Formats: sequence, C-alpha cells, structure tokens
Amino acid sequence: MRVFRPQSLQLQLTFRLGLLFLAATGIAVGALLYETSRVADELGEENLIERAEALARFVVKGPSGDTVLNPPEDMAAFYASPTQTSVFAIRDGRGEVIAASGAEIETLVQGRPLAGDEPRFFRLESFGPARQDYYGLDLKVESAGGPLSVSVAQSGETDALLHAMLREFVFDVAWIIPIFVAATLLVAILAIRTGLRPLRQVSAQAAKIDPGAISVRLPIQNLPSEVIPLVEAVNRAFDRLEQGFAVQRRFTADAAHELRTPLTIITGALDGIEGDGELAKLRKDVARMNRLVDQLLRVARLDSVALDVSSDIDLAAIASEAVEYLAPLAISQERSIALVGADRPVLVKGNRHAVEDALRNLIENAIAHTPPHTEILVEVTNDGKVSIADQGGGVRPEDRKRLFDRFWRAKGSPGTGAGLGLAIVKETMKAHGGEVVVDDAPGGGALFTLLFPHPAETPHP
Amino acid sequence: MPVRRRVALAVRHNTAIIMTSQFDLAQSPRASGGSCSVEAQESEALIVRVLIVEDEQRIAEIVTAALRKAEFTVDVVATAADGAAALATIPYDVAILDLGLPDGDGLDVLAAARAKGRSVPVLILTARDAIEDRVLGLDAGADDYLVKPFATAELVARVKALLRRPGGALGAVLKAGNVTLDTMGRNVTVDDENILLSRREVAVLEHLMRRLGRVAPRDVLEEKLYGIEEEVDSNAVPVHVHHLRRKLIECNATVEIHTVRGIGYLLAEPKL
Repeated sequence: MRVFRPQSLQLQLTFRLGLLFLAATGIAVGALLYETSRVADELGEENLIERAEALARFVVKGPSGDTVLNPPEDMAAFYASPTQTSVFAIRDGRGEVIAASGAEIETLVQGRPLAGDEPRFFRLESFGPARQDYYGLDLKVESAGGPLSVSVAQSGETDALLHAMLREFVFDVAWIIPIFVAATLLVAILAIRTGLRPLRQVSAQAAKIDPGAISVRLPIQNLPSEVIPLVEAVNRAFDRLEQGFAVQRRFTADAAHELRTPLTIITGALDGIEGDGELAKLRKDVARMNRLVDQLLRVARLDSVALDVSSDIDLAAIASEAVEYLAPLAISQERSIALVGADRPVLVKGNRHAVEDALRNLIENAIAHTPPHTEILVEVTNDGKVSIADQGGGVRPEDRKRLFDRFWRAKGSPGTGAGLGLAIVKETMKAHGGEVVVDDAPGGGALFTLLFPHPAETPHP
Repeated sequence: MPVRRRVALAVRHNTAIIMTSQFDLAQSPRASGGSCSVEAQESEALIVRVLIVEDEQRIAEIVTAALRKAEFTVDVVATAADGAAALATIPYDVAILDLGLPDGDGLDVLAAARAKGRSVPVLILTARDAIEDRVLGLDAGADDYLVKPFATAELVARVKALLRRPGGALGAVLKAGNVTLDTMGRNVTVDDENILLSRREVAVLEHLMRRLGRVAPRDVLEEKLYGIEEEVDSNAVPVHVHHLRRKLIECNATVEIHTVRGIGYLLAEPKL
C-alpha cells in the first residue's frame, strides 16, 4: 500500500493539519456525545428521585388512621396512562403496600426489601404491558404518613430522550463544526504560505547561483530559525565549492605553465636546427601539439571560470583586430583576407578577449580550408552578426550538427586540429546568449556566423 | 665587411652619429633614368643589446641562440633582482621579461624600470595567457607580449618590430629584404641602388617597414601622411600604395605590399 506523500512542504503541512483537525473534531464530538449521555443519565436519576419525593408528598393519614396516597389529578393521570411507561409502588415502614400504579408492580415490590438510606437502583426486564426494560429505584422518604419506601420505575424508552437531544444537537450545533474546521484549515494554509515565503525568497536567491556568480550567499535574515542551520550549511558548502573553483583555476594556470615551458623549449630547439625532411615534419607535429594544449587549456578555462560578458564591446573593432592579427598568417600561406562593415562600431554585451579568440579560431579554420589565392571575407553587420566566409569545400549538411562537438572531426579532414576550436567557439557564444551557425557561403565554401543577442544602440556617425 | 661598433652610451647617441653620416649621403647626387639608380651605399651595422630575464635555462638558451643568430648582443639573467639591476645600469635596446621568476614577477622588473624612467621597449613572455594577465602586462607598460609556447622566429620578429619603432635601435635605418630606408636622409635603396619615390611614398614605405610583417591600418597611414586635421581624399592612400608597389616591383625589390581589404596594407619579406 502506498501512502500519499506530497512533495511540497506546504501540501504536507496542510495534509497533516487536515488529519489533525479531523481527529480533533472526532474527539470533540465524541466528548460532547459522552457528556450529553452522561447528563441524560443523571437527569434520569434525578427525575426518578423527584418523582418518588413527589409521590411521598401526597401520602397522608386517612380518616380511619391508615396511610393513603391522595394524588392530584394530573399526577394520577400520568400514572394511569395505559402505556404504563412510568410505574410506582409505595410501601409503609412495615412493608405493606399503600399504593401502586398497577398490580404488576405491586406484586413485584412485595418481594423486595425496603429502601435503605441510599437510593437503590434496579432494572426490570420484560415488564409492563409492552414487556419492556424498566429502570427504577427504591427511595426511603419521610412523609406525613410516616417513613415510606417508594419504588418508581421508568420504561427504557428514556433513550428516546437522549436521541431527541442528540438530533437537536446535530442540527442546531454540530453542523457548525465542519465549517469551523474548514475555516481553521484555510487560515492554517494562509499562515503556512506566509510562513514559507522567506523560504521561497531564499530559493529564488539560490536559483541565481551558478559558476559565474559563485560568491553569492543565501541571506539568513527573516528566515525561520528551524531553516537557518540548513541555509548556513548550504552556504558553507558554497564556500567549499568556491575554494574548489579557485583550486581548479590555479590548476589551469599551473598546467599551462608546466606544459608550455617544455613545449616552448622543444619548439625553439627545433626551430634552431637547420634542415628539412623529418625535421620539417617534427616541427609540424610540435605545432599541432602546441595548438592542442592551447585549446585544451582554453576549454578548461571556459569550464572552470564563467565568462564575464557584461562589458560593452565593439564587434567592428574586435573583428579588425582579429583580421589584422591573422592577415600575416593568411598572406604567408598565399591566401588573402578582407573585412567588410567595420567602419562603424557595432556594440554588444560581451567579453572582448573571448570573442576575439572565437573569431580567430574561425578565421584560422577558414585560412586552413580556403584554397590558395582565394579570399576569406569577414563581415560585421549592424544587427550584431559577424560572419566568416571561405571558398573551400564547405561543410556537409550531415556534419553541421556535430561540427561544434568537442573532439569531433569531419571524416577525411586534413587532421591538424584536435576538434576543440569550434567547441570553444560554441561555448563562448553560449556564454554570450548567442550562437554560432554554419551555412554555405554564396560562392560555395563555408559561412560561419556569430550571432549576438540584442545589439546595443549603435551611435550614428 | 660591415663595421661593428659597440654602443656604450645611450641609443640616442648612436642615432646621432648615423644621422650625420646619412646627411652626407643625402647630399650626394641621385641618378636619373627610371626610378632605379646604380649607387652603392656603405651600410653600417649597429650593436643591438637585448636583455633576457628568464629563469628557465633551456628557454633562455634557445632564445639567446635565436637572437644571436639575428646578430643581437644578448645578456641573460635569471632573477627579477638581477633583471632590475641590469636594466638600471645598462641601456638595453630591448628587454624580454618572463613573468614567473623565482624571486618575483617580470611585471615587478618592468614597474621598477619604468619608475626609473627607462623607456626601453619591453616584450613579456608568459605561459599564463589568462586574459587578466595579458591586460595586466600591457597596463604595466609592456610594449608587446608573447604567450608560451612561441616560435623563435616570431620572437625575433617581435623584437625587431620593437626596435624598428621611431627612436628604436633599428628605427633610423629600416631594412626589409633588399630594401633599405634611411629615415633621416629620406632615401630608399633596393640592393644598394637608389630608388626615386615621392615624399608621401617614402612616408608610406617607412610606416610599412616599421610594421614589417604586420598590418598597417589604412587610417593610421592616412594620419601619417596628412595629419588628423587635413581633409583626405579616400583614394589618396591606395593611390600612393599603388605607385609604391609598382616602383618596388620595377626595381626588383624582394618585399611585397599586400592589401588587406577593409583594414590596410602589409609589407611582407620574401619567404626563405
């Protein structure tokens, strides 16, 4: 059997409070019923005693000296009722029956001892004309005719009184209980909601924490004291995480130093040796290794340190710088490169160095893929786009999706890269809330476009 | 055989001497008939002193070897303290600083030198290419930086570019391939033959040679030719470059002017 267990604390509290209210209502109603029946019983006993005393008041000495009952008319009528729901028998101090409501009770009391100082209760089974249960008592009462032993009994139908009272109670009073419970529950839910509001605020604060905003801590003010230890523990966990990030950053810097120094030595030493053939191949291998290490470290940095993309950057200026930087490489490999649309600033929010790295990556790829004596065209447009078109073979449609995956390389590609460059570009653009897309250039070849969101208002010259 | 002269004092002293000698040359008659002429010119080689502050011995060796091959005089120290002391006492033409040193940081050496008023061009070497470091290096007054690992050819090219700046040790007589430009005498030779260029063509060539192997942005060229105030025809620079390019080809210059459309021009040395 599965127990209903809601996930929300609010629902849980509401559910449990509801159960609690139900139980409380049950207990309250039960107690009321018990009390009512007890009162009813007491009322019954007192009723009997009163009747016995009332009867005794009308016992007098008769003219002939004997003791007789001389009841008023209404009392006589009450006991004369044919249903015989109330019966009595009065005996004098010697046990002689002075008066009785009927023969049956008269016979019955003759076999019973006289009443003592305390009222004695009894029960008659299968008595009277309806053969019912009767409840009664023997009571010793002083009267004008001397001490009497009065026995009065009432048919068991006194339960009817109880039922009537209960019915009245349910209709007049008890209907208010469910409404009261519902109202209380509603107030409780509202109270829970209000009480949990600081928790929701803390949750909203916690939602803002990401690798970029790791120094954010959850506020403790206004929090319920039960939750503060949890929040403090979470904050301490964040402290440790932040330290972890710092360690990772340090590791990146250390790895850079450790790897690059030997690589610099090898690169430089190979450059210093005269000769071709194997040596030229080795130089190429080392260049590839340099590139791989460089890209691995960039990826590690993108993973470990969130980019600050909040500065206003000018895509035109960045594109100019990247083209300027890579033009010598293109020219040394007998390719040319051109920049269009950089004559006025195109402002977006971003990280200058990361965008320049991304752009250099794409331009380096274009230089590698465009055939000799062709031109690579870099274009900046006002709507926050930078595109790089080459005149090489282009990217096959089936490769376009996976092109930006880490370590993915097209089949049969020349194989100089590790397949990280485009992954870096993609991550960089993701950090900027933009994207990088690949398409066919108008004249054939690949067209990569960096799309930045919401270019800032461009000042007109 | 070039005459080697050791420069004991400031670089300025050096340029002053060259200026006098070039002044004589400027007086000499120029040949007529085409833009190329046949007149040999005695060229003087300079002593260029480079300081390397690098604790990694192997890197220091390799860099030293590459710079010596380029005919520079090289001193190597391994600590920040020695580097600061060397910069304070000897007028180096270029300093190459490694960032991570056993007793401090290359940036400290740089700051100390700049505080003493040394305007020596500084190239930073760093394995830490984290963006903040780049910015930090350039803010501290470095003129250029190279990220490890680097090709030694790139290092030598960067050092030469620093030296070719106006006032730099190689800033007075610029050389690229078989072309020589004397910035004082304003004359240009190709394989020691004078070549007739207009004043503005010389100015364009001078700037391209100072930026040898790198792009010279067109707007910078415009400023060099006309100043900021002057109204410039947008075609002026391309026209000068076009004429200059034609004349260089006519005179069999080994350097070539490439156009980087949308940005500017690039003077490239012949490939070896």
